[in-house]
Amino acid sequence: MTSKRVRTSELQATIADLKFTLYMLSKNPLVVIGSAISIFFVVLALVANLIVDPAVANQFDFQRSYAWNNPVINWGPLAKTVGGTTHPLGTDGYGRDLLQMMILSLPLDLRMAFVIVTASATFGIVIGAIAAYAGGILDEAVLRITDIFFAFPGLVLALVFAALFGKTIDTLTIAVLLVWWPPYVRLIRGQVLAEKEKAYVEALRAMGAGHLRILFRHILVNSIYPLLVQATLDIGGVILTFSALMFLGFSPTPALPELGNLASEGITHVFDAPWLILFPGLTIILISLAFNLVGDGLRDVLDPRLRR
Amino acid sequence: MTKNRTILAVHDLRVNFHTYRGEVKALNGVNLKLYEREVLSLVGESGCGKSVTALTTLGLLPENAYVIGGEINFKGENLLKKSKDEIRDLRVNEIATVFQDPMTFLNPVLTMKDQLEEVFMLDENALKKAAAIQRSQGKPLTYSEFLSEKTKQESERKVKSDLKVSSGDVKKMAKHLCIEVLRVVKLPDPERILKEYPFELSGGMRQRCMIAMALARRPSIFVADEITTALDVTVQAQILHLLRELRDTIDASTIMITHDLAVAAEIADRIAVMYAGEVAEVSSTREIFRAPLHPYTELLMRAVPNVKKPTESLETIPGTVPDMIDPPSGCRFHPRCPFAMGICVKVSPRLEEVIKDHQVACYLYS
Amino acid sequence: MVFVLLGVSIIVFTLSRGFPSAINPLGQYITPKTRPEDIEQIKKIHGFDQPLPIQYFYWLRDVFRGDWGYSFWAQGLPTNEVFFSRFPYTVELAIASVILTVVIGLPLGIISAIRNNKIPDHISRIIALTGYSTPAYWFGFILQLVFFYYFFLWGLPHLPSSLALSQAFEGTVPQVTGIPVLDGLLAGNLGYTMDALAHLILPAVSLAFISLGYLARIIRASMLEVLRQDYITMARSKGLKERVVIYRHALKNALIPAVTLTGLFFAGLLGGAMITEYVFAWPGVGRASLLAINQQDTNFIMLYTLVTAAIIVMANLVVDVAYVFLDPRIKY
Repeated sequence: MTSKRVRTSELQATIADLKFTLYMLSKNPLVVIGSAISIFFVVLALVANLIVDPAVANQFDFQRSYAWNNPVINWGPLAKTVGGTTHPLGTDGYGRDLLQMMILSLPLDLRMAFVIVTASATFGIVIGAIAAYAGGILDEAVLRITDIFFAFPGLVLALVFAALFGKTIDTLTIAVLLVWWPPYVRLIRGQVLAEKEKAYVEALRAMGAGHLRILFRHILVNSIYPLLVQATLDIGGVILTFSALMFLGFSPTPALPELGNLASEGITHVFDAPWLILFPGLTIILISLAFNLVGDGLRDVLDPRLRR
Repeated sequence: MTKNRTILAVHDLRVNFHTYRGEVKALNGVNLKLYEREVLSLVGESGCGKSVTALTTLGLLPENAYVIGGEINFKGENLLKKSKDEIRDLRVNEIATVFQDPMTFLNPVLTMKDQLEEVFMLDENALKKAAAIQRSQGKPLTYSEFLSEKTKQESERKVKSDLKVSSGDVKKMAKHLCIEVLRVVKLPDPERILKEYPFELSGGMRQRCMIAMALARRPSIFVADEITTALDVTVQAQILHLLRELRDTIDASTIMITHDLAVAAEIADRIAVMYAGEVAEVSSTREIFRAPLHPYTELLMRAVPNVKKPTESLETIPGTVPDMIDPPSGCRFHPRCPFAMGICVKVSPRLEEVIKDHQVACYLYS
Repeated sequence: MVFVLLGVSIIVFTLSRGFPSAINPLGQYITPKTRPEDIEQIKKIHGFDQPLPIQYFYWLRDVFRGDWGYSFWAQGLPTNEVFFSRFPYTVELAIASVILTVVIGLPLGIISAIRNNKIPDHISRIIALTGYSTPAYWFGFILQLVFFYYFFLWGLPHLPSSLALSQAFEGTVPQVTGIPVLDGLLAGNLGYTMDALAHLILPAVSLAFISLGYLARIIRASMLEVLRQDYITMARSKGLKERVVIYRHALKNALIPAVTLTGLFFAGLLGGAMITEYVFAWPGVGRASLLAINQQDTNFIMLYTLVTAAIIVMANLVVDVAYVFLDPRIKY
């Protein structure tokens, strides 16, 4: 089969490619900033439970709810202020320090994002690739089913699913998954259909390579770029969707530290405790923006026609 | 042959391209002269810099290209020192280009009428004058009359300043001239062609349309960049035939860029052979074929198989085209040259006239 | 297309009625006015005594007869009425959002492409991606906070934060289309129209902010692709002004994918931007659907899902047809 020498030169080619990609990425200041911020948040999420004691999430103190205690900024007449420990970003409806809650919510949100993106991408890619490669009825069937899921407006499917099956983290994960997998099918279909016709596939067949091997070792590897871009962009999107679900009241527990959930607490107190909506929201924007910058930059760089 | 005036003079032009892998030294001191009313052919392999020279003259280089040195003198003025608007003006009135692949060089979503008419509409004054003339002479204006009108323009510039020509007349004139110019390039049924989109026409027809677009500007210099490369041999012959006929009609000089010596032989008065960003040899077509001086030219001639002489193997030029990021020192041809001497490796030879009207850049002769 | 709709309907139907956690669907066909003795009869008509797959066909038949049952949370009104009375408001919001999106997103994308990798590109990229990264609910509230609350505090004229029309104006103009701004214009009632517009601004901006980023990126990518093409070099070599090259030659080609995107986006909006409508208490179908889901009003959910799915599917068809007109190379 493939000799060792061929494999190492393939490896060398991939490494050279990677170096070129990184070089091109580094030329775009926005992408660099985005990457830095993304990495910052990922790291923060990983150490979050070390910085802030998770038990704090269950310590309610309604005396201090919706309060503000920050020497620097003043929110106007309606905001309640409270003495004692500083709350740089205020407190939430349960009297917990908002900053701490936000940090605690990072592992959940980011983990959800990665899990959902990975799962929906994997699922979409696998069935899409097989369907496109096989062609015929299988392809038609998969296409139609994907169309059906595409036709569902917005979050309806996810919401209905969640409403029916209860509000646990797992059901919510599946609910969001249901909505996010169709685009990958379309993407991979386009790629596989185009690659299928290329000369090297014919050559591989002539060499006796099996279908699965051709599909996954060769075609998929060549098609990986747009998928990577989509996945990176989707991380931001999934965080938005997930937090939106929370916001609409689908949180497993009302006091769950999760960015969208925290924001939803703030609806009823938009005017007298605006920080509750403001800061979790800003955080979501920041995380989303960071990943989107990276994904967007990646899209620019990975455009095969720009690569010289 | 009486020497005509020089209309375009390229002097020591150096152009680099900035790429990820390094600086591509595309042009390394190109020297060329173009005379009035002649056809000069730029011949060379792919990547030798022929198109780059033309693009630099037109000011159409991509963003990562830099002119490092040299001059391009058109009618006495250095083009490299001109502003963008002035260059654009030149493209409208003086230098017209026809490109290689009429499929990709024509806008797929605009009709031929749109794309041809807009060229005429660039010079509304000319259209107004043309309309006035047509009205005064009572019969439709032909393209040759339109053409000669331009040369008259220079001297009779401010004669008719108050022309009563409506914008409707201008548009009609533009359309009329479109049809006329399509007739000049020997396209049948011009009205129908104007209505079509590029993809509805054949390759040869599209190329003729491109030539028509160039003619519309009544240029002093006509640049043809590999215009026959994308065509079948038979169509190629037709286009070359057309160009030869047009030579008499239009009063312009032509720069014919091609990698095909046969094409150059068909149509050029003089040939300039380029290699790796430098001009190797320049002379009349006859001389170049009869007695090529530069080793590269000689090897090039020998590489073209002769239909009449039976051979067993094809001759090639040993070695490969040099890497323009790290080109050979001195004379760029020296690694492949059978006559390379010590000095060839060190210093690049200059283009010098060694026989009358025959210039070479080679130490064999200087 | 039919297949897709059937598929959608099957999924929703199964979800709505097939699970024990779903409430008794019978409640969907009864109003407070129904007489107890008729309940058995109603059960039989709608097939509630049959197994689930058979129920589906009963339901399908009902749908074709236009009988969607009642929405018990909306004072026992027929589901049709509940849906279609709210639909025009969603349409109003959708149209306004699309207009704003295109008006701002299009130039943003074009500038980004023309000044590729220079400052304007970076700025527009940040704007576009920020919009794209903003949660719909958050932005809506922030807008309300600033333009309604703080403006009020600071003594500035403020924009209304909820509903489509002020109480005072309700019902003062004949409901021709159901779309407040249009009705106001048709009736020549300037005050009404202005009030409707004032209510429209914040939600429309909220929606547009998020989507204009997406449009701008698509247009940028498309324009960059087009500007690389040979025919653009050709156009420049003709001596055309750069502005003409861009608007006449490049844009026409670049716009094609953008048009399809906008069409699909508009269709999606017609499905009701749930969250924005919720935040602004906009009386459209999106908000209604949220309430319906919370109350497990399966009839409404099914009607809503099917109608919006149908709109999306139709939009796909329209967009495909539009392609034929935009790109002369495509013939079906």
